[in-house]
Amino acid sequence: MIEVNNLHKSFLGAKKKQVIALNGLSFTAKDGEITGILGPNGAGKTTCLRTLYGLLKADSGSATIDGIQVTKSPIEARAKLGIFPDKFGLYERLTAYEQIDYFASIHGLQGTVKHQAIEAIIKDLEMEELAHRKTQGFSQGQRMKVTLAQALVHQPQNFVLDEPTRGLDVMSTRVLRNHLAKFRDKGHCILFSSHVMQEVAALCDRVIIVANGKLAAQGTPAELCDLASEALLEDAFVKLIGSDEGVAA
Amino acid sequence: MIQFKALLIKEFKEAFRDKRALMVAMTMAMLAPVMILVLSKTMIKEMVATPPIYLNVTGESFAPKLIKQLKQNNIYPLSDVPEDIKNLWTERNIELIIPENFAEYMEEGRVITINLRADFSEKALNAPIRRIKNQINQYAQSIGAKRLIVRGIDPRILRPIQINDQDTAQPSSNAMFISLMLGLYVLMAAFMSGLSVAIDSSAGERERNVLEMLLCQPVSTFKIVAAKLCCASTISIIGVTLTLVLTSFSVSFVDLTKIGATFNLDLLMVLFLILLLLPISFFASALQLFVSFQAKSFKEAQSTVSMIIMLPAMIPVALMFIDDKPQWLDWLPVSGQSLLMDDLFKGIPINWAAFTGTALVTVGLTAALVIILSLRLKSEKVVLALS
Repeated sequence: MIEVNNLHKSFLGAKKKQVIALNGLSFTAKDGEITGILGPNGAGKTTCLRTLYGLLKADSGSATIDGIQVTKSPIEARAKLGIFPDKFGLYERLTAYEQIDYFASIHGLQGTVKHQAIEAIIKDLEMEELAHRKTQGFSQGQRMKVTLAQALVHQPQNFVLDEPTRGLDVMSTRVLRNHLAKFRDKGHCILFSSHVMQEVAALCDRVIIVANGKLAAQGTPAELCDLASEALLEDAFVKLIGSDEGVAA
Repeated sequence: MIQFKALLIKEFKEAFRDKRALMVAMTMAMLAPVMILVLSKTMIKEMVATPPIYLNVTGESFAPKLIKQLKQNNIYPLSDVPEDIKNLWTERNIELIIPENFAEYMEEGRVITINLRADFSEKALNAPIRRIKNQINQYAQSIGAKRLIVRGIDPRILRPIQINDQDTAQPSSNAMFISLMLGLYVLMAAFMSGLSVAIDSSAGERERNVLEMLLCQPVSTFKIVAAKLCCASTISIIGVTLTLVLTSFSVSFVDLTKIGATFNLDLLMVLFLILLLLPISFFASALQLFVSFQAKSFKEAQSTVSMIIMLPAMIPVALMFIDDKPQWLDWLPVSGQSLLMDDLFKGIPINWAAFTGTALVTVGLTAALVIILSLRLKSEKVVLALS
């Protein structure tokens, strides 16, 4: 379970101008649910997720992962997390297997347990053929699979993805989607940010709409459409972030 | 421990699989012995041999005996110069001007003024000019001595005191130029060999977007930095070892006895040098990681780190110009090691207190760099620079 409570964060931008990235954002992502964060570019999605990983420190407010305060004990909190970051790269001189192995070891797995975990995730993501190739020259979909595998190899209770479907084709998106659904059914908590409405509509149990560093609205996709009295989530989204008066309450 | 092991294994895999960067790092070590061999051979040749010198003589016919003596000592008029080196000596243009009244003055016993004209600041001309002057002086002295003898005077009367030089330098001090070069070179090797790995594993990883992912993992930044440091400094130590081993092999081909010097690099000395440079390798890699982790891009890291390489090159050279070295120089990294190497090559017994001192200071500074860097990696500034 991931809880974000009244997060505030501002940066010193160009010419010492204060840029407010998060302005009192609060939400909860429950276990056994896929929670989607929707928001226009610059709404504060990545800042919020980075605060969750403990990369950034919030000015005020708190984030907890399974009840562990991120600011107080970031390493323990991160151990409960699987992360698919905003920008992901691969170690191009390692094979896919070695990379997954590397992250598994960082999460403290070893011996046969580690070996079995790696084999399981490789089989799950249907990447047996890729496993022993160096990752240099992998396609976008293959890269996504490797990143997904290394984030999930230790079977984290909570899984955070920052725009995972960027640049993926339909097939890869489906693999990702199926995997997330399977993961949810096992009772894990999944939080992911996206721009793609169909995907959010198809996959998410709950949607959080963020605008100007604040929660603009939340609910199931259907509830949001009702709230904005629009038939399509896309129209609902535009309407909800366009006029946050009345809706935010 | 599992984490550190995994981090370390991964760093080594990446470092050793980047064959090209590794090759570049090791060329430094490969080139050292070749350079030392070639340089010392040419230096020995210059010090021992008396190659022919060609002079632009005006008034050759006024002093035939002087010219004859010069010729006997491999100094010839420019008219005799072989075609292939003609340009060189014409350009050097050492002029000897013998006055018309040479024979006349000689007969009358008056002082004859001969002009030797050349660019005295040119280093390549130092040896020829010295030899020309020596020959002319010898010629003049022998005539002077004969004049005294003819007058029934012992020529020794002109030399009431004779100085007898007794050089207290150890026999191997004469190999100074080799040791100086080698000392500089191994220090450079310590700084150069680990360089590409240090930049690649810090600024390189940031640019390939893998650093952010690593920083999100449940692993302390201290472990990350320590693993990267271990890897880079291992490569640096390999570089230093290779330089020393290859040099000790190649030095055996140089016959230093020709210039009355002895220099050998035996196993014990190689081991001592490796031990001496071990902390420096760590220090160099820590410094490089420190700088390149905080650079905004790979390119910035490269240009800043290349400034650091100046350190091992400048400090030993600067030390040569300080005659009264303050005590603290013995303790600082690079300068301490450089001074100890000087002593070692001169055959002076090793000052173990200074050895331990400089090693401790170097290790201490390295540890400080690692700690500061691992704190820095937690700061938001570094994270924000990721995107």
